[in-house]
Amino acid sequence: MTAQLPAPPAPTPPSTVAAAPTGPVDEPPVVIGDDTSGRSRAASRWRRARWPLTVLGIVALFVLFLAVVRTPTSADPYAPDNPEPNGAMAVAEVLKDQGVQITHVTSVADAVAAAGKDSTLLITPNPSFFADDQISALNRTGADLVVLQPDYSMVAGVSQDLLDITYGEQPEPTQPQCADPAAQAAGAVTLTPGLYDASGGSDKVRPVLCWPDDTGAYAYARLDFPDRSVTVVNDPAVVRNGSVVDEGNAALALWMLGQNEDLVWLVPNPMDISTGGDTPTPAERGQVNALMPPGSAPVALVVVLAAVLLAFWRVRRMGPLVVEDLPVLVRSAEATRGRARLYRAARARGHAAAGLRAASADRVATRLGLARSSDANTVVDAVVAATNRPSQQVADLLYGPPPADDAALAELVRRLDTLESEVHRP
Amino acid sequence: MVVTWRAAALMGLGVVPVLIWPANGTVLIWATVVVLACVADVALAASPRRVAVQRRVPGSVRLRSEATSELVVRNASGRRLRAVVRDAWGPSAGAGPGRGRSERVRPAAGGPGRHHVDLPDGEAARLPTTLVPTRRGDRAAGGVTVRSLGPLGLAGRQVTLPVPGRLRVLPEFASRKHLPSRLARLREMDGRAAVQIRGEGTEFDSLREYVVGDDVRSIDWRATARRREVVVRTWRPERDRRVLIVLDTGRTAAARVGAAESTGAPRLDASIEAALLLSALAGHAGDRVELVAFDRTVRARVAGAAGPRLMPALAESLATVEPVLLETDWPGVVTQVRTRMTQRALVVLLTTLDPAAVENGLLPVVDQLARDHTVVVASVADEEVAGLRAGRETVAEVYDAAAAARGDLERTAVTTMLRRYGADVVEALPDDLAPRLADEYLALKAAGRL
Repeated sequence: MTAQLPAPPAPTPPSTVAAAPTGPVDEPPVVIGDDTSGRSRAASRWRRARWPLTVLGIVALFVLFLAVVRTPTSADPYAPDNPEPNGAMAVAEVLKDQGVQITHVTSVADAVAAAGKDSTLLITPNPSFFADDQISALNRTGADLVVLQPDYSMVAGVSQDLLDITYGEQPEPTQPQCADPAAQAAGAVTLTPGLYDASGGSDKVRPVLCWPDDTGAYAYARLDFPDRSVTVVNDPAVVRNGSVVDEGNAALALWMLGQNEDLVWLVPNPMDISTGGDTPTPAERGQVNALMPPGSAPVALVVVLAAVLLAFWRVRRMGPLVVEDLPVLVRSAEATRGRARLYRAARARGHAAAGLRAASADRVATRLGLARSSDANTVVDAVVAATNRPSQQVADLLYGPPPADDAALAELVRRLDTLESEVHRP
Repeated sequence: MVVTWRAAALMGLGVVPVLIWPANGTVLIWATVVVLACVADVALAASPRRVAVQRRVPGSVRLRSEATSELVVRNASGRRLRAVVRDAWGPSAGAGPGRGRSERVRPAAGGPGRHHVDLPDGEAARLPTTLVPTRRGDRAAGGVTVRSLGPLGLAGRQVTLPVPGRLRVLPEFASRKHLPSRLARLREMDGRAAVQIRGEGTEFDSLREYVVGDDVRSIDWRATARRREVVVRTWRPERDRRVLIVLDTGRTAAARVGAAESTGAPRLDASIEAALLLSALAGHAGDRVELVAFDRTVRARVAGAAGPRLMPALAESLATVEPVLLETDWPGVVTQVRTRMTQRALVVLLTTLDPAAVENGLLPVVDQLARDHTVVVASVADEEVAGLRAGRETVAEVYDAAAAARGDLERTAVTTMLRRYGADVVEALPDDLAPRLADEYLALKAAGRL
């Protein structure tokens, strides 16, 4: 007779246990709008914007205040509104106090327009150079010219070839050694010489040259033409804020620039190509858009506006980002890697080799059926029996001295692997 | 207020009149035209705040399987609604592009879960989005963004509506593929499928006629003497034993394991796979399964569920269990086990054999557990460390191998200690842990140690 066995538990297909998505239990809510009105949105926008707007307003007021209170200054060398050591604001301010009207210009056209008879035209050093027609335009103004550190063509142009330049030596304090009243007033100065008389002594107008050096180069020259005078100073330090108070520089500068009521102060702009002709073209004024084809400015404006709209299109996100807490991204193996790096950084070859040897011995012992607590001799004997290797070699391999360098460590690992591959279950 | 690429293109078209009449005034006039067109478009667009939106999401879905989030959008604005609607989900929800295709609805470019909608007033449409979640747990949906464009498509209005939605992502239970083979072995032990072998199980079941192949040692001579034929005793594995699975959700469960080139998965996920397979197997074997996820407090608990209710209950409660960056309170675990299990039970500790953590935490308390219960410590090994162990190419790799070997030795020592205290230890790579633990359970059951 066969006894009844109980029916085994019916093996249900496992896919049903935790699988099939269950349908929604309750009907989910229907959402209309975000509970805001136009008024509440405007109010919240105002609440968000008011502090930034307040801060911006304060900053704007402060900037405005500074703009009103502080006189504008520039950083251009030799400019009359530059208070830095390379500027010339000091001389300009003193001249203003003395009643001299200063007109600050940066192009030859403006200088030609501003300068005339009974005015002084100061030409500060040009970082680039003046074209010949610019030089002749400056010559034709009829104003008294004061030229600081001219180049070759400039000195030839303004002096009508009566002067020439050379390379002077290092300046030393020198007496003027001439009869010019300005030079007499200034007395000893330290200015770089570099001018010499090229008139050959034949012309009616003879240049007055002052402050010579040993080689016959002068620092200062003055030409008295019938209708105007031309003064050339080889060294612009005479007006520079940083050096104007040295020795007689201030006296010389004020004497030269204070001859007339009106002073036109030309700080040349290297981009300037104007000559002060009848009507200067925009290109001559140094305007860039004059070099573009006509109509390009409006087209560029259209393109910029289109780009702005493109930016508005791209910048508006389709709703906010959905945030999500992410799990830790620490790999379990990092502990092992860190330990390996420590071994390597400390050159702990002994430790590393001991670990590898112990692991090898452990595996070999397990394979040979030895107890985990077996001592070294038992393991070595068992391995020798299994591999027919010399006993000394096996003992050296498994329990030998630590390797001397990294190469020896790598070699040890290789030999341990070979040994392990030779050991088979007995 | 939004503008589209069409507004920029319209502005760009202004190049033509400007080339004909090159003046700044032309630009001004054209820009005014564009702005007016955009304003008119916004004014004529349907109000996105008068669109009724409902999100239908399945309650739960298994990890890496497909679910559909469906938006029901009804146009109650009084105007025709031309809009792009975004069903926003977090990155782990794995939202795909919009799926609806009809004359009213088509997928929109620009990101996952976006739909073009063109609805006359009063009509509604369904916008399905496929979700393939890549992470376990509760995935909350973001809002629903409606960008309603005007008839010219130049500009429009946009609002993000707070439409609730939540998808519970259950554990993947990929280890269920091992279940049929383990169930087959369980049935063999049960004596149904194969010839009874003595020693498989310890509980006396019944007497039956001897057939060739039965172990002669199981012949019941007394019963044989009473009848004419030879009778053998049969045993069956014990039933109604208790199994308590303790899931360690402390800091060591947060570390990622897996191949070196993958991002890996937290150790906890492999533990959950193993817990699910063991529970399914034990549930089929007729044992009572309980589960506690514990670090310093109970994070999840399943007790009293049996039969078909067991696995859904486990999946539901394990779905939201996340590792906590705290050291596990092992004395607390012992207290938990003591309060839950008054009689002898199989206690499976799914944790990590991290030598330092075990020495300070588990080792001092494991003998208290092993005195009263059968204890199995199951640990997830790291595939990357296994790779490091075999590295021989460069000097750096040799050092890696040395560090891995040193770690192995320490783990072996800890394992030895645990065994000495009477606990069984199962350590395996993430994919192998579930079947290995199931095998361990079957072996214990066959040996009658439950």
